[in-house]
Amino acid sequence: MANNNKRKMYLRLITRSLIRRASRLITAVLAIAIGATILSGLVTIYYDIPEQLGREFRSYGANLIIMPSGENGINENDINRVKNLIGREKIVGFAPYRYQTIKINEQPFLLAGTDLEQVKNNSPFWYIEGDWQNVMIGREVAEVLNLNLGDDFKIQGVKFGGQAEASNQNYSAEENKTRDFGSQYFSEKLNVKGIITTGGAEEGFIFADMKILNDLIEDNFKADVIECSIIANASELENLTQQISKAMPNLEPRAVRRLTQSQDIVLGKLEALVLLVTVIVLIITMISVYTTMTAMVAERKKEIALKKALGAENRLVMSELLGEGILLGFVGGALGVFLGYEFALRVSLNVFGRGINFQWALIPVTIIVFIAITVIASIMPVRKVMEIHPAIILKGE
Amino acid sequence: MFSRMILKTLIKQKSKMLMIAFTIILGVSLSTAMLNVMLGVGDKVNRELKIYGANINVKHKDAAIISELYGLGVNDKFLYEDDILKLKTIFWGFNILDFAPILEGRVILSIPGTNNTGSEVFINGTWITKHAVLSTGEDLNTGLKNLRTWWDIQGEWLDGNDENDKNFVMAGKSLAEKFNIHVGDAIRLSKNGVIKNFVIKGIFNDGGNADEIILTDLTVAQELLNLSGKISSIEISALTTPDNDLARKAAQNPSSLSPDEYETWYCTAYVSAICHQIQEVIRDGVARAVRQVAESEGTILNKTTLLMILITILSSIGSALAISNLITASVIERSQELGLLKALGAFNYQIIFLVLSEIILTGLFGGVIGYFLGIGFAQIIGQTIFSAYIEISHIVILITGAILFLVIITGSIPAIRYLMALKPTEVLHGK
Repeated sequence: MANNNKRKMYLRLITRSLIRRASRLITAVLAIAIGATILSGLVTIYYDIPEQLGREFRSYGANLIIMPSGENGINENDINRVKNLIGREKIVGFAPYRYQTIKINEQPFLLAGTDLEQVKNNSPFWYIEGDWQNVMIGREVAEVLNLNLGDDFKIQGVKFGGQAEASNQNYSAEENKTRDFGSQYFSEKLNVKGIITTGGAEEGFIFADMKILNDLIEDNFKADVIECSIIANASELENLTQQISKAMPNLEPRAVRRLTQSQDIVLGKLEALVLLVTVIVLIITMISVYTTMTAMVAERKKEIALKKALGAENRLVMSELLGEGILLGFVGGALGVFLGYEFALRVSLNVFGRGINFQWALIPVTIIVFIAITVIASIMPVRKVMEIHPAIILKGE
Repeated sequence: MFSRMILKTLIKQKSKMLMIAFTIILGVSLSTAMLNVMLGVGDKVNRELKIYGANINVKHKDAAIISELYGLGVNDKFLYEDDILKLKTIFWGFNILDFAPILEGRVILSIPGTNNTGSEVFINGTWITKHAVLSTGEDLNTGLKNLRTWWDIQGEWLDGNDENDKNFVMAGKSLAEKFNIHVGDAIRLSKNGVIKNFVIKGIFNDGGNADEIILTDLTVAQELLNLSGKISSIEISALTTPDNDLARKAAQNPSSLSPDEYETWYCTAYVSAICHQIQEVIRDGVARAVRQVAESEGTILNKTTLLMILITILSSIGSALAISNLITASVIERSQELGLLKALGAFNYQIIFLVLSEIILTGLFGGVIGYFLGIGFAQIIGQTIFSAYIEISHIVILITGAILFLVIITGSIPAIRYLMALKPTEVLHGK
């Protein structure tokens, strides 16, 4: 019974002292909540940086090239297996290419059959005049053939399995024509929907949907090369290439060193930058929360001395301060975790256009950190009060 | 009397005022550091991104990519080696960090002492490392080595400034495997009767098409191919500003711009503007942005800067709230003392003036210390991450100063309103 009363009294002491000082209380909770917001917000962002910025680095294009090791191309079955090996959630872009030599106005060109949507994912840096759809031609091709958007052009070529024969100069134009229309040859009119500028080799190709190419040459799906853009650092990609070549000996995967090496270096620096900034901001914030709390508790020296004069034991006074600190730290910390997540989400949406993973572990960590700060800040300034005689402090009253 | 009162408060309330000053120091140093880092980070990250290699490629205006694609032969259109150093004389010459000329050709490779008596291989002559003194007296160190940071080298890089290295070449990994040559092996290269013997100094792994070539010094390739003073292309790595609408419009056709727009464009380090200026000094050259590098650079740069801006804003808001919070609390704590002043006949405005002067003095003190501390933090970040000095922008003084002033005032407003409503008797009643 006595024990019960004691507990009631203890709770009353804490709640009373908090309610009585409502303005001070708001200030304290606010200070803690600001600190907790910064802590949880920055740590959430920091944890998501490798993933988020890693995705941004994919704008440099494909970082894994898969080629068939033998003469046979890569079929749809292989493609599905490779995709599963990589893990579908890691794939940003996955474009199979099939190259076919064709003739336009009796000049040789290369037609690349591919999945245009995936090419867009792989190479967002392509600049397209017109639309990103069937059929796009490189700028070089457009200049050589003097083609503009909306123009038609005719391609001719050999069907799959047919004998490719360069048009011999000995053949007359008439002979060439009949040869080209034989059963082994195809001829098709295409329309320029887009002109590609990249500053690279792509400007010399014609890009069409893989299906159109397969229909023309009357063959099943078969890729000469696959360009993949995968969220992975250099060592992960290295593991992946080993896994793929082990599981599928008919394929030869190659990581694009230029992209993987460079990405590791730059991303490493950016991560370090955010880490250092986070650490500095956190240290400064913690100190500032600590000083605010200290300043507030110091005000209460007299009150504590009075309690002691009335016969309160040190332990009781301490436990009261402790209880207050825990309560403040908990409320402020919990509020901060929530606000911090909101903030991190806003930043992520603004900067990367994506949501952010909430680190559940941050809830207990933030709350515990701020309880610790408040408790230490509450006890340090009054520690001395405990040791001296209440009369000395109360003397002035 | 007034100054004595302020002085008294500052001394008597030393610990409390020190606490406020300390919080202001922390807040100001945080904002100063973050603002400086934020303003400097673009330039630093831009330099880091240079490891992706060249973002501008200069070719002869008649050299078509198509002929390269089919290996139909090597172009017979060339640029001039004399023009290369003029790159540093253009308006944005300072932004051109590295460049390397490349002369492409094909030669016959044979390996003495084996039954391999001749296969055609691609050869690239370049400045691996180049030291030059410009007409302005400026020292210049550049070369392909800086543009191929991702290469994995077995053996050693050639040294372009070492005459002895003219007897050495480097080989790509695939080519080396195909012909079974190793570092230290002797090879013979020939073309149209010119025969030369070399030793392999290094084997490089590029992970791309370059693995099929032999790399030599530019003069060596020029002698072999009998093309002295000629080059096929120049790779350039330049610091650029991410493209905006103006830059895109200009890239299509610079003559479509109004004179004002043209001037803005020309005097901004857009990749298209730099290309334009390069074409003015390289005879017959067409400079093109390598979009894979140029465009992606812009993406990463914009994202990083935006991220830093948002973190800066968060931390600045955080410290602003903390300071203003503390000021409110500390003024309210002093209601007894201020109530006494009122009871003694002080007017509201006098008290407010007193309180504000104290806090502004404290703020000034904390702000100055905090500013210098913040510069220190910014340099710690710069040195640790980028091993470079972060430039101090003077605008930061203005920004932090303005923020601090606002924070102090807003922090005092609730306190001031409280003071106005203060009834001396009520406050002093407790005594």
